[in-house]
Amino acid sequence: MEKSLEANVDPSLILQWIKKIGTEPSATVPLLQEIQSTYGYLPQKAMDLVVENSQITGSQLYGVATFYSQFRLKPVGRHLIKICHGTACHVRGADKLNTAITNDLKIPKGQDTTNNGAYTLNDVACVGCCSLAPVMVIDNEVYGELTGASASKTLSRHAKNSNETIK
Amino acid sequence: MSDQNLEIIVGEGTCGKAAGSLAVLEAFKNLAPTAKIRSVGCVGMCHQEVIAEIIDGAKKSFMYGKLAPKNIQQILDFHRGSGALPTALLLSSTDSPQLEGGLYLKRQTRIALRNVGMLDPTSIDEYIARGGYEAISKIIKSKMAAEKVIEEVKISGMRGRGGAGFPTHMKWTFARGAEGKKKYLICNGDEGDPGAFMDRSLLEGDPHSVLEGMLIAAYAIGASDGYAYIRAEYPLAVKNFGIAIEAAKARGFLGSKILGSNFSFNLKIKQGAGAFVCGEETALIASIEGQRGMPRIRPPFPAIKGLFESPTIINNVETLANLPWILAKGGSEYAKYGTEESRGTKVFALAGAIKKGGLVEVPMGMKIREVLEEIGGGSHDGSKLKAVQLGGPSGGCVPEALFDTPIGYATINATGAIMGSGGMIVMNEKTCMVDLARYFLEFTQLESCGKCTFCRIGTLRMKELLTKICDGEGTMEDLGKLEDLAEKIKTSSLCGLGQTAPNPVLTTLKYFKEEYIEHIKDRKCRAGVCKKLITHEIMSDKCTACSICKKACPVGAISGTPKQLGSFVIDKKVCINCGMCLEVCRTDAIRVF
Repeated sequence: MEKSLEANVDPSLILQWIKKIGTEPSATVPLLQEIQSTYGYLPQKAMDLVVENSQITGSQLYGVATFYSQFRLKPVGRHLIKICHGTACHVRGADKLNTAITNDLKIPKGQDTTNNGAYTLNDVACVGCCSLAPVMVIDNEVYGELTGASASKTLSRHAKNSNETIK
Repeated sequence: MSDQNLEIIVGEGTCGKAAGSLAVLEAFKNLAPTAKIRSVGCVGMCHQEVIAEIIDGAKKSFMYGKLAPKNIQQILDFHRGSGALPTALLLSSTDSPQLEGGLYLKRQTRIALRNVGMLDPTSIDEYIARGGYEAISKIIKSKMAAEKVIEEVKISGMRGRGGAGFPTHMKWTFARGAEGKKKYLICNGDEGDPGAFMDRSLLEGDPHSVLEGMLIAAYAIGASDGYAYIRAEYPLAVKNFGIAIEAAKARGFLGSKILGSNFSFNLKIKQGAGAFVCGEETALIASIEGQRGMPRIRPPFPAIKGLFESPTIINNVETLANLPWILAKGGSEYAKYGTEESRGTKVFALAGAIKKGGLVEVPMGMKIREVLEEIGGGSHDGSKLKAVQLGGPSGGCVPEALFDTPIGYATINATGAIMGSGGMIVMNEKTCMVDLARYFLEFTQLESCGKCTFCRIGTLRMKELLTKICDGEGTMEDLGKLEDLAEKIKTSSLCGLGQTAPNPVLTTLKYFKEEYIEHIKDRKCRAGVCKKLITHEIMSDKCTACSICKKACPVGAISGTPKQLGSFVIDKKVCINCGMCLEVCRTDAIRVF
């Protein structure tokens, strides 16, 4: 994975969030959400800063970060693709979208991000657009009523529009 | 061209947006800049998105579906008197209520959904214009006793719409009587069942109804603080509910000394972080407190000792959205709908192998078949319906033979499924019931918080057994093992997740045992889903040698020379049975057996 995906954490930002959200344990989830929405994942430096500047212990913080599926500890690609595996999507063939997109992206085994750092692929439980199943989300844009082939086309269109190469 | 007499209403829910409603809205704004254009939530006909309604100068309504920007000019031409009615796009109109769109809505009774798709969710004025905040104003101004509010809800017969169906008034009475300096009211918007989107539509499309419902509940139990716990996967719901909170504060409906009374209620949004188990009350409380979302032993129940050790009531989004209506019209009015044991209406999210998927609200007592066939229009590809899954991973599959079951808590429980929060996933002949059971167990196994041993490891063992059967390596003894594990997981799990996790397996074993046996004895999957039990083959008499399948195959299993008839074959040793060739073939030349 490219080094450039590692986030450059600005300590003053983290301190500002702690001040705004709180230092008590009940601030844990909102703090992690704030960090992730900025960096796309939870950089270790940011986690260290939270532990040093709040009442939240390291074990509490990592305990929560690893419990909820929203949080990730590894850097995310420049674009995030989510393939929905809700029941409706499953029944309407969500696995075909996986086959097509995995084949297009050629993500190395055991990883979820392409070698060039362009795309990260995640399976998600349900995005709640069940009537449009099967559904794929790229960077918060929802694409519905897909087939393997049309998912492929959607991805290549996205790559073209955002100047990314699919590898 | 002046269109000042035209009112154009575009559906902008998550599903509308996914279907391209923003581009349609833009097109209307560009082509009819003088018309009155509004955005509303999802009207529920998700299968017809993008949907727009036009109300003309004569107050006649026209609803159009499946819109794209290229259709807009044609529609405007008609309303400007210079073109024909675009009948292919018309869903219903004042003059032709018998059209599909009109019928879809006509069979429904919309109480919880009364405003969804009708008003701009970001406008408190539109909510007030439709009778919003009347109920809470009446309660506060007439200094109605909290007991009287609870009594009204008791008369309505309302039971928790989150799935368990516990009588709402009883829960409130416990919290009302509980000792505590501070009491909390939480709105449970952690809609985690895959395949359910009722709460999303309500929070997105009519956030003020939910907010007013929270005010009523808080007043009844004496809560001063509240949280709306909303899934982070629903960004539009979080956004619209946040706008609603600010607007309600500005109008004096929320905050301290509401409408000049002594009743104060402070409300915050807490975003969930992706954990199915947090739909369970005590896990949700742990999550708000900033801990891992793991359930706690009950008693004490949250109504006595909940969030931060204080009495806490957690009500579901749909329950709350019904409350303003019930308090405004009276509990007895609500109780007129439904059956003896299940009063009122229920919202269902219709999805899966169904023609007209979307949101429907029907009176309790309606037969499952009426919902699926008369409102939903049956199977999406014309094949026969096989079953419907109710209640998500905690629920079960109701087979077609039982589709005449009337909807109600007890009647649905009798089939082995549960009412649940309202997900209705429809299965047809192309759904493999063993694969479906495996899918649900995979889900609950992943989502198990890990606290109880049988839930943590038992679900994994069940998933392994089901995978073995799907791969054609199962034995008849495995079926017994599944039943044995199911029983143990149910009885030795602390919370609803574990107690109900085996339900999808038990109901499919009960109603579709022959499919399990076929997988084991004949190594056959009649639905053509289980990849290790099927074969893809090109039928040379139908193949036109266009080569499209060869290009689509991700593993290079197809060989053949373009335009050379009969040259295309699939190498079975290489083929992974992914079905991509089947999907792209234009002449139905690929068969699965």
